[in-house]
Amino acid sequence: MDLTRRQLMWAGGAFAATTLLTACGGTDAEPAGSASGGTATPRRGGTLRVGALGRAAAITRDPHGSQANESDYLILSLIYDTLTVPGDKPNTEPRLAASWTPSADLRTWRFKLAKGAKFHDGSALTAADVVYSLRRLRGTPAGASRLPGIQAKNITADGDDTVVLVSDYANAELPLLTRLTTFVVPDGTTDKDMAKAPGTGPFKLDWFRGGNARLVRNDGWYGGNVYLDAIEVKIFENPQALANALLAGQIDLASNVGAVAARTAKGRSDIQTVRRPNDMAMPIVMRTADGPFADPKVREALRLAVDRKAMVDQVLSGYGSVANDVLGTGDPAYAKSLPQRTRDLAKARQLLGEVGFDTSRTYELFTTEDISGLAEAATLFATQVREAGVKVKVVKQESATFWDKTWLKGDLYSTYWGTNDSVVFFASKTMVSGSATNEAGWKSTEFDAAYQKAIGTADAAERIKFLQQLQKIEYDSSGYLLWGMADGIDLARPAVHGLPTLPGYGRVQLEKTWLAS
Amino acid sequence: MAGELTSMTTAPAGPDPTAERGRSARHAVPAVLRRVGVVLVNRTALLFTLLALVFIGVELLPGDAAHATSERGESAADLAQRRALLGLDKPVLERFWDWMSGLPTGNLGTSAHGERVTDLISTAFPNTLLLGATALLLTAVLSLALGSWAALRPGRRLDRTVTAASTAVFAVPEFVVAVALVLVLALWTGWLPAVTLTGADGTPSSWTMLVLPVLALTVPQTGWNTRIVRAALADEARAPHVETAVLDGLSPLRVLTRHVLPGAMPTIATGLATSSGVLLGGAVVVETIFNYPGVGAVLASAVADRDTPVIAGVTALAGAVISCVLLLADLTRDAVTGERR
Repeated sequence: MDLTRRQLMWAGGAFAATTLLTACGGTDAEPAGSASGGTATPRRGGTLRVGALGRAAAITRDPHGSQANESDYLILSLIYDTLTVPGDKPNTEPRLAASWTPSADLRTWRFKLAKGAKFHDGSALTAADVVYSLRRLRGTPAGASRLPGIQAKNITADGDDTVVLVSDYANAELPLLTRLTTFVVPDGTTDKDMAKAPGTGPFKLDWFRGGNARLVRNDGWYGGNVYLDAIEVKIFENPQALANALLAGQIDLASNVGAVAARTAKGRSDIQTVRRPNDMAMPIVMRTADGPFADPKVREALRLAVDRKAMVDQVLSGYGSVANDVLGTGDPAYAKSLPQRTRDLAKARQLLGEVGFDTSRTYELFTTEDISGLAEAATLFATQVREAGVKVKVVKQESATFWDKTWLKGDLYSTYWGTNDSVVFFASKTMVSGSATNEAGWKSTEFDAAYQKAIGTADAAERIKFLQQLQKIEYDSSGYLLWGMADGIDLARPAVHGLPTLPGYGRVQLEKTWLAS
Repeated sequence: MAGELTSMTTAPAGPDPTAERGRSARHAVPAVLRRVGVVLVNRTALLFTLLALVFIGVELLPGDAAHATSERGESAADLAQRRALLGLDKPVLERFWDWMSGLPTGNLGTSAHGERVTDLISTAFPNTLLLGATALLLTAVLSLALGSWAALRPGRRLDRTVTAASTAVFAVPEFVVAVALVLVLALWTGWLPAVTLTGADGTPSSWTMLVLPVLALTVPQTGWNTRIVRAALADEARAPHVETAVLDGLSPLRVLTRHVLPGAMPTIATGLATSSGVLLGGAVVVETIFNYPGVGAVLASAVADRDTPVIAGVTALAGAVISCVLLLADLTRDAVTGERR
C-alpha cells in the first residue's frame, strides 16, 4: 500500500501551496459573507461550475445505490427529490412531502405529497412512484440502515397523493429518516434504465460522463424559483486539486473541500469561505465492554486530559468548535445545559490513581486517514494524554483494514460521523444496546430506557425532557470522547450567492444559489 | 497506490525471455512474424498469470468490496446480502473464471458500485494513453537531443551540466515536479489551467490542460533517458568503426548521426520502453494532482475499494499496451542489430 505516501504527498503539496500563496496573497480581510444572500436581490441566469470530491472507480448513477462520491450525491440530489430535506429549526423541512402527520402511537406516518410535482418528462408524480422508490431503496443492502424500522411491505400508498409508512416501533423522528436518501424515481424504473430515469428535482440532467455532469434548470419545479440556468458538476479526486481549480478560476464553487483548502485560500480577497458549523464529529472511541477503558473513571480521566481548544485550533485550523462528549451537536434539543468539560490534568491523574490504571503500559490508538484531520487529531490527543500519565501510541491503518479489523472491536480508536443534527440518530446507531454499530460496546439499561421514551413521546416538551436525560447519561458514561466538531467548508468565488449553510446533508441543496453578474 | 501500478505494469518489463533468442534471429519476414507470434503467446500467458495474481492479491488484502461500499450501520445480514450481490460469496477462482470468460466478448464485469467497468475505463484509458504517449514522445525527442548535444562535447562544461542536471531531475519525484508546475505556471502566472476539466465527451476540454500533466511526467523521465542516451553514445563512440569515421575527418554531427546513434539505438529503445511502464505508474500520481480524467485515478480508487473487476480491467488493458510497446522496442533492436550484422 502506497496510501500513506500519497496522503503525505497531498499534505506536502498543500503545505507548499499554503505558504507560497500566503506569501504572495494580498489583504487578509475575509470577503463579505455573501453566502447567506445578504441584501442583494437574487438574479436569474448563469451557469455555476461546481467542483466536488469523488473517486473515479466509485462512480454510481443509482440514486439508491451506495454513494461514496460527493460528486454523484450532489448530481443525484439536484435531479431527484427526497420526501424531506434538512432544515435549521426544526431540522426537517418539507420537499416532495408537503406535510406529514403521525398516529397517536407514533408508528404510522402519513406523508402528503406536494401539489404540482411532476417528473422531468412531464408526467405527474403519484404516491405509487414514491412507494416504488422507497421499497426499492429498502431492498438494497443499505436499505435497513437508511430506513430503519420500516419494512418494505409497510410502505404503502393511500390514494394518489399520500404515502403511509408504518414503523416497527414508535419513532418521533421518522421524518428525519426520509431526508436526502429517499430519492424518488418513476414507478417501475428498472435497474437498467435507472441512469436515465427522470426526477422531480430543481434541475434536469443534460449529460453525464465519467462523474462529470451538466444539469439545466427545471422551469416547472414545484418547489419555488430556481435562479441558475445550469450547474456543471466536476469530479475531483483530491481536495488540493479542487482548491487549485477554484484559485485558478476554473470553477466557481469548491464543495465540501475542507480546512486545509480554506487555509490555502485565506488571504485571497477573491475567494469566500462558507463555514457550515456542526458538520463532522470526529470522536475518539473508548471500549466500554471490556479492556483497559472499561472502567468509567478511566474514560472520564481521558475526557479530562484532552485539551479541546488546542485540538480545534491545531487539528481543524480553528475551523470548528469545542464539543462536550455528546453526539448530535446540531440537534435543536442538544443539551447546552451540561457543564462544558475542560482540561483538568490533576483530576485526571487522581481518577486514574483511584482505579489503579496501568500507566507503565503503552496503549494503541487506531486511526485512518479517511478524512483530513482525523490522524492528526489522534496524534495530538496522544501527546496531550501523556501529560496525564497515559502513554498512547498512534497506529494509522489503511482504510479497508481499519473498518474490517478495528472498527467496533478496538479498545481505542477514532471515527467520524456526519449528520450531527440529531441526538436520537446517534443514540440509535451507536449507543443503544441492540444497535448493529455500537462502536464502544456500550450497554446501559438506563440509556436504553431514556431512548425508548424519547422516540416514543409525541409531546414536544416532554420529549425534550427525555432527550436531555439521554444526553446526560451519554455525557457521564458513554464510550465517546468528542473533543470538537469540524465545520463543513465550501470555498466560492465572490459572485456566488445563496449557498447552503447547513451541516451534513444540507450542503447539496443548491436550488437557491444564484450568480451575481 | 502508485507502487501498485508500477509493480503490476512493469512486471512484463522484467527480464525478457525472448531477448537472447531474438538477437540471433535473421530479420527475414517469416522470422519476424514467428518472433512476434512467440512474444504474443508469452505475453498473453504472462498477462493471464498477472490477472490471476490480481484476483488472489485483492483477496488477500484485508476487507472486501462489500465492506468498502457498505454504509455504516449495516448489519452482518446486510453485508452478506451485499456480498451475494457482488458475487463475493463465490470462491476466488470461480470469480476469476467468470471474469475471464467475459473477456472475449469485451465484458469486463461490473464495479462494486454497480457501473459497467467498460464504461468506467472507456474514456479514461484513451485519456491516459494520450497523456502517456505524448509524454513518451516528448521524452524521446528531448532526451535524444540533450544526450546527443552533450555527447558532441564530451567532458566539457555543457556535458557535465547536462549529466548533472539529468541526474538531479530524475531524482525529483513526479509529485514535486507537478506541485511546482502548478504553482508557477498556473497559480502565480495564470498562463495555464491548474487542473483538467472534462466536457460531455469525457476528454479534456482544452489542449492547454494537457501541458502541465505531460510536463510533470516528461521532466523526470527525460532526466533518466538523457543519461541512458549519453551513456549509450559514449559506449558506441569507443567502437572501432566510429574511430575510423572520426579519423576519416567526417564532421562530428555526421559521425554522431550516421555512425554512433544507430549502434546506440537498441539501448535507447529499451530505455524508452522501460519508461513507458514508469510513465503509466507515474500517471496515477500526476492524474490525481491535475485531476486528469485517466485510468490511473480509476485504478487507485479501485484498489482502495477492493474492486477486483475494475483493477483487473485496468491491469489487462495496461498490460496489453505495455506488452505492445516492449514488442516494438524488441523489434527495433532486432532490426538495428540485424542491419549491422
